[in-house]
Amino acid sequence: MGVLTELLKGLRATGSVLIETVTGKEMLTTRYPKEMREKPQRFHGRHVLNRYPDGMEKCIGCELCAGACPARCIYVRGKDNDPENPNSPGERFGFVYEINMLRCIFCGLCVEACPTEAITMTQLFEFSTTNRGDAIYTREELLMDTDGNVPHMFPDDPLADMKELLTADGWLKATAPAGNASYEGVQTWQGTPGPASWDPEPDQETRDS
Amino acid sequence: MTARETEGVLVTIDGKEVRAPEGELLIKTAEDNGTYIPRFCWHPRLKEVGMCRMCLVDIETPGGSMMVTACTNPISDGMVVDTKNDRVKKAQEAILEYLLINHPLDCPVCDRGGECPLQDQTMSYGPGETRFVEEKRHFEKPIPISDLVLLDRERCILCARCTRFADEVPGDPLIEFKERGYGTQISIFPNQPFSSYFSGNTVQICPVGALTATPYRFRARPWDLKAVESTCPHCTAGDRISIEASQNQVLRFLGVDVDATNRGWLSDKCRFGFEYLNSEDRLTNPLARQEGGTYEEVSWGEATSIIAQRFGAIREAHGGDALAVLGGAHGTNEDAYALSVFARDVLGTKNIDCRMDDALGTRLLTGIDRRARISDVDTAGTIIVWGPDLKEEHPTLYLRVRHAVQELGANLIVIHPRATGLDDRADLKITYRPGSGSDLLTQLRGGDRDDVNALLEASPVVAFVGRTGYTEGPTMAEAVASWILELEDSRVLPLARRANVFGALDMGVAPDLEPGRIAATETGRDTRQILGGLASGDIRGLLLVGADPVRDVPDGSLATSGLSGAEFVVAIDMFHNDSTAHADVILPALGFSEKEGTVTNIEGRVQKVNRIAPGSGQSRSDWSIIADIATALGSDLGWTSEQEINDAMMARVPAYAEASWDALDWEERDGVVVPAPGADVPVYRPEMTTQPTVGAELVLHSARKLYDDGVMMRKGPSLHRLAPGGFAHLHPDDARRLGARTGSAVRLVTKRGEAELPVQVDPSLHRGVVYVPFNQPGVGPLGDDPVVRVTAVGEPD
Amino acid sequence: MGSEPITLTIRPAESGKKWSDESLERARRIMARYPEKRSAVMPLLYLAMAEDGRLTNGGMEQVAELVGITPAQVLAVASFYTMYKRERTGKYLISACTSISCMLTGGDDVFEAIELESGVPHGETDEEGLISVEHVECIGACGGAPAVQVNYELIEGVTPVKARELVRWLQQERPATINTDEMQRHFGGRRSFDWAVAEEASAVGPYPAFQPFGTVGGVGEGE
Repeated sequence: MGVLTELLKGLRATGSVLIETVTGKEMLTTRYPKEMREKPQRFHGRHVLNRYPDGMEKCIGCELCAGACPARCIYVRGKDNDPENPNSPGERFGFVYEINMLRCIFCGLCVEACPTEAITMTQLFEFSTTNRGDAIYTREELLMDTDGNVPHMFPDDPLADMKELLTADGWLKATAPAGNASYEGVQTWQGTPGPASWDPEPDQETRDS
Repeated sequence: MTARETEGVLVTIDGKEVRAPEGELLIKTAEDNGTYIPRFCWHPRLKEVGMCRMCLVDIETPGGSMMVTACTNPISDGMVVDTKNDRVKKAQEAILEYLLINHPLDCPVCDRGGECPLQDQTMSYGPGETRFVEEKRHFEKPIPISDLVLLDRERCILCARCTRFADEVPGDPLIEFKERGYGTQISIFPNQPFSSYFSGNTVQICPVGALTATPYRFRARPWDLKAVESTCPHCTAGDRISIEASQNQVLRFLGVDVDATNRGWLSDKCRFGFEYLNSEDRLTNPLARQEGGTYEEVSWGEATSIIAQRFGAIREAHGGDALAVLGGAHGTNEDAYALSVFARDVLGTKNIDCRMDDALGTRLLTGIDRRARISDVDTAGTIIVWGPDLKEEHPTLYLRVRHAVQELGANLIVIHPRATGLDDRADLKITYRPGSGSDLLTQLRGGDRDDVNALLEASPVVAFVGRTGYTEGPTMAEAVASWILELEDSRVLPLARRANVFGALDMGVAPDLEPGRIAATETGRDTRQILGGLASGDIRGLLLVGADPVRDVPDGSLATSGLSGAEFVVAIDMFHNDSTAHADVILPALGFSEKEGTVTNIEGRVQKVNRIAPGSGQSRSDWSIIADIATALGSDLGWTSEQEINDAMMARVPAYAEASWDALDWEERDGVVVPAPGADVPVYRPEMTTQPTVGAELVLHSARKLYDDGVMMRKGPSLHRLAPGGFAHLHPDDARRLGARTGSAVRLVTKRGEAELPVQVDPSLHRGVVYVPFNQPGVGPLGDDPVVRVTAVGEPD
Repeated sequence: MGSEPITLTIRPAESGKKWSDESLERARRIMARYPEKRSAVMPLLYLAMAEDGRLTNGGMEQVAELVGITPAQVLAVASFYTMYKRERTGKYLISACTSISCMLTGGDDVFEAIELESGVPHGETDEEGLISVEHVECIGACGGAPAVQVNYELIEGVTPVKARELVRWLQQERPATINTDEMQRHFGGRRSFDWAVAEEASAVGPYPAFQPFGTVGGVGEGE
């Protein structure tokens, strides 16, 4: 007897959800791919290598991302910048940069490790391929153009949405870029890939005055 | 002896009582007893200087506790030291905060980042925050201070390790602090590069990334690298190194501090001589010569059967003695043993030699009575160097001798036809004409030179004996060794080139030795006779194993005529070279860092070499190539791994019984010295002979420089450009007589070759000697006959 | 990895010209006074300055060759001391002391007066090549502070007003000989220092002044 009561109780719950869903009161399923869901701000999608506003590459080939990567999917090699025509500020730039997207677990540790904020993640997640070779993204595919656009691997794909590549994950920074102690605990993030959006740190004179 | 002398003095470090010899530096006592005191400037192999102040500790004195630098304070009885109290911590934090005022923190682009003592100690002992927000000091970065070393003055923390090294160890103080005061910086003299043969060591000991090496710069980061310990492939000293590789490419060698051999130092040739391993010119496939002289890739099976068929045919028609084997001094003992057994048992020939006619007699090299060890120089009263310029040919031995003379007070006598690297430390330097060494030896032996007699009174005497140059025959060195052994309490270390020549001789890669340093009952032909036999047709087939006789045999034209006269030549090598050009079949071999095995150094020390890279293409180990050829010739040697050969080798050569792979890998990482000359082998006493004096007006002196045109140098871009090139060095008097001066050209004609070379007037030469560096880019062979005719060419410009 | 080796090759330059026989002879006399040759580096550097008018690379190489050390070691010494001028100085080098005794008695004001009157800041030379100005550490005349040197000839008890007069005098009169007594008479005050060790080997002081007294004011003329 008791069993039947319990069963009916359970079925009532099932029935009410069924009715809600069918009547569209609280629809969980979207009609993907015609309809795209809003992605959370800190969604971890495909990586992009950024540039400075003057067009210089941010990546200095330091391999900290490769060192931090738990999946060992990043391969970087540095090289001397040509002093006449440098790729990045300073002595060194990343002349090999590869990410094996099949191995990547999109944890974002590379982004946290990057000392120059060269690598950030976008909201693009539709990049399945039909062969393994295509899943290895090289420098050419990852690096944004000087005009701020990011190369899309499959621009003709009906799923391709350029906006996704231009929205960065809002990753947290516990401290300011220059390590100024007064910024400690202040969380800032960058909403779009590309040039850093915060103001440069004031110099000593400005700060003192 | 008092307790203080036998057991040392009692010191309390952080509450722990330890005993150590009185006068030892506190920082060392602490480290030996498990307390690490942070430091930047102190280095165990350099003199203390107390510059960085990082090693401040608290010691108790009658007047209260006092901060002192642990690196400059010797311990004394009853000393009480605190290395961890709040005052010390505060001092350490302050020192690091100061050091970081101007340090750029460009760690992400710095080669040192990840293995940097400044990074590590800042993490362990640093304050975590800085109070300095001012702009940092800026310098142009990086600036080259030599062809191999770059200097970044922003990163420098002024510990003076590099300047002290350059001054104290190799004696090349070409870098110094300048603008001392606020603007202190390391500097070379304008346009005088830090062109020391040992400059790379400064990169290794720099505690920050201020000094970086061009061959490694930006190639990898420390966390990419995997490392394996091994033994340097460039000279016979058996320097311990760590090979570091990433993505299957060897990227750098670091010196490992082993007291018996190199003490952590390496010459630049050793340190940067890895580039050839990654060369794109490495052979990848077996090649067979076609009609018309071109080479085509063939499979291993095809290559082996061609070789077996041709060698077999020669052996059948003319006997085993119509075959010969040259080389084997660059490989492992296992390779050498395989080669020796292959030649004797499979080919049936006694014509086998690993010396390229530039070494000494095999018995002198392996079986000499009272053979010295390298460490004997530390206790020597007098050191005699009568042989090649140690700085050019045996760089780490040069450092050992220099250290013994400079710091330990040994006397030094240097005998050589011209200036050598040790001259500035020599108590006596004698120059002589090659070809009249016997006259000098007679004088010394007869006790006619008071200066020599006086120096020889300090015993024991340790002598480095070798060929000063190639125009002086090996019998001269035998006579010198014989004289040394006549002296009381004396030891001799015979010198030879090529990394594993001593191991190869021990394994019987010699015409008159069987494996185990046993004199062969029947003597075969040595390199010179083999090449002569090839030219005359007595010998028809030749197997070259990592040998380039055209470049390496002093009489290069003899090698060329021999190789071109041969009926069938097989070369096992890593590269095409001047000798493989005569080969019918070329087989790609694995090189250093690509195979495992043992090697034997100059004092008979057996050490391991280890594998870290896979090698290029289808390259294979020498032993496995040889085993396949043997099988194809119908004699299966039954080896399937290096380990098996090692077992066979130890069974056949009892002297090597202690040096098993297991022992070398675990208990005896610094190697085992195999007994010399060997358990049941009679010792060798070199003979005293006299050579007739060469009467010519001018005699040739032909000796090597550190950097030359050998194939391992040629395939490494960083080192090959350092080869000085060909010059004819003339004594000022001879130059005047010939109407030549520095920059003008002369024509040299010897019995075996000729060359036109620019002149360098060299007052260090003995009168009547013309010195031409051997095997330099663009210089053909001049042979080993001392008689030379020199004429001036054209007008000096 | 096909990365090119970086080529930052430097080669030793041809060594500079040799000294005159007279200078070499003087160098030998100086070296003979020391048990170790390398102890003579500092007096020889003065000689090198006399030879070339300033301390050139060639001069330092020559000194290194004479005493048997490397040029880098000579540079280490030469770059530490301010008296070794590696840049050409003017005909008159005015050195105002700003160490403690002079500072307490107004040395800073004297130095400022010299700078303002001549228009030449510390460490520099005017366009004409006439006057160089520098502030220096103790010049051993604390008893007569504040002190100023012209071509290393001492004037004691200088005031800012006298210092300005001194600069004007040098600019207008352009004396061929700098004489300490004469300058002391015109521009100095209280004097404490009236003795000196006679310099035998004549190898002290850089260009322009060399001998302690009666020095002709330099090589600047006719250049």
